[in-house]
Amino acid sequence: MIKIEHISKDLGEFFLKDVSLDINDGEYFMLLGPTGAGKTILLETIAGIYHPDKGRIILNGRDITNLPPRGRNIGMVYQDYMLFPYLTVEKNIRFGLRSKKIAEAEVSRRVDELASLLGISHLLHRYSGTMSGGEQQRVAIARALIMEPEILLLDEPLSALDNETRGRLREELRKIHSLTQTTMIHVTHSFDEAFMLGNQMAIMNQGGVVQVGEPSEVFRKPNSRFAADFLGVTNLFRGEATIENGISYISVNGVKMVSSIPKSGPVYVSIRPEDILVSLKPIDSSARNSFAGNIEGIADNGVVIKVTVNVGVPFIVVITRRSFDDLHLENGMLVYITFKASAVHIFS
Amino acid sequence: MLHGFSKPRGTRFRVITLGFGVALAIFIISVLIGVITHTTPLAFVHSLASKEIHFAIGLSLVTSVISTIWCIVVAVPAAYSLARGNFRGKSLLNAILDMPLALPPLVAGVGLLILFGTTAFGSELAKVGLAFVFTPKGIVLAQFFVNVPFMFRIMRSTFQGINPRYEYVAQTLGCTEAQTFWRVTMPMSKNGLMAGSIITWCRGIGEFGAALMVAGATRMKTETLPILLYLNMSCGELPLAIAAATILIIISLVSLFIFEKFGGAARVF
Repeated sequence: MIKIEHISKDLGEFFLKDVSLDINDGEYFMLLGPTGAGKTILLETIAGIYHPDKGRIILNGRDITNLPPRGRNIGMVYQDYMLFPYLTVEKNIRFGLRSKKIAEAEVSRRVDELASLLGISHLLHRYSGTMSGGEQQRVAIARALIMEPEILLLDEPLSALDNETRGRLREELRKIHSLTQTTMIHVTHSFDEAFMLGNQMAIMNQGGVVQVGEPSEVFRKPNSRFAADFLGVTNLFRGEATIENGISYISVNGVKMVSSIPKSGPVYVSIRPEDILVSLKPIDSSARNSFAGNIEGIADNGVVIKVTVNVGVPFIVVITRRSFDDLHLENGMLVYITFKASAVHIFS
Repeated sequence: MLHGFSKPRGTRFRVITLGFGVALAIFIISVLIGVITHTTPLAFVHSLASKEIHFAIGLSLVTSVISTIWCIVVAVPAAYSLARGNFRGKSLLNAILDMPLALPPLVAGVGLLILFGTTAFGSELAKVGLAFVFTPKGIVLAQFFVNVPFMFRIMRSTFQGINPRYEYVAQTLGCTEAQTFWRVTMPMSKNGLMAGSIITWCRGIGEFGAALMVAGATRMKTETLPILLYLNMSCGELPLAIAAATILIIISLVSLFIFEKFGGAARVF
């Protein structure tokens, strides 16, 4: 496991302030936070690029704080791939093995194995300049994995990719993780990514760690105003879906929702707060989802007001000040929330 | 590209400014053609056969290649440290390293002559066989001093243009800092190094003022192409002088072409 103990580092524009984290072996750890939160500099400090001003880093009982990057056995993958443009894909992948005394046959075997795992065998003789973002990122991942790192650091690895490629590569990261059991630390600013990949996550802001925990736990129970504002805009749940007549029924903690996206098995469900209607009485409409619940919280954000309604799971609803005043909403009041099946976004 | 001068609306202002450009181009071409056509091809070939010009070409090539190598050896590490480092006194150091660029070569030559010709430092060097004053070594020294800022500046901006994260990745892949420099930074700087070497070499070939001060103008001893040109102009040996000038023009044009090919022009200043 890796223990990060009270790390501080000041680089002027970016900084870390007393960051402590414990990350267990084999964990897929997500670091989530806004731009400038210090996520990348934390990764680079773990990798050994920067020496911390204060604090220690312990990897499997070994103090690596003063080791150069090459002595740490920690791999790094950046958002912009950083493939060496003057080398072919194959030479990029085997770059790191030059410093290890490994027989040529073994090197070739490992390159072929990783290339086929990542589906880039047909690219081995190409140069990175002519490849798509997704292909380049696969090469960058292979180049890091060939070192068999104890920890793989991923700095927004999916952010530069288009939607479809991102989804595919996300699945491959999940596959690689379950196959290799490498500890992964993955920086992102996407909630979906954190939710779908992470066993554990930390939210960072202004150089510090705000909250650590299982993603569903952190999403459900943000521990601070910042975490709540940063995460709380989405109604994101874990549930079990079944398909009947082309329509999905998802059970989330006993609450049954209907979605127009056909999917079955364990899924994540999200409903945008703006897509939900609040009413004082049940309303007859074409919308397929309607639940009764009590108001558990009211957050005044100026123009809009965020109302938390607990219908068995807590829903966050965003309404305008005008509606809020017209309905005379108060804490503890019984209200109805209604949304269309097409507003229920499900993904696995 | 869309609305350049190639598709003029014929405004008077554009025509006038274009006129200046064309006049300047004609002026430059006239000067060059004037040199080349001053002699006949036969006289040129005849001059090329002379021992003196053979010596000058040889000495120019040898000194400029050696001084270019020295510029690379010294300027590349210095440029790297100033491109990547973040330390107190960095801007002062940068300013000092750029200084010879602004210095008139004659003044640089006088300075070198005083340092190596009149001080204990210079005489100690001479004792161990490194005599620079009035020797071909002095030509190398003068070329180095005047041209090293060009190599330094081109390499500094080349290194600055390389994302340091390439180097970070290499370090996580088992490289020491020195290995990272050789395996990643230098291959990625190939074009900059090419451009820098070409311009340094080309300027070395043409170096006159500083070399004259340090090494003097001794026929068949410290006689590079520019010195040959100067000596033969002074004593009226026109064909030989013109031949040297023509060779220098050809070298300059070819170098400029190669330099532009490696995209280095914008990086000098």
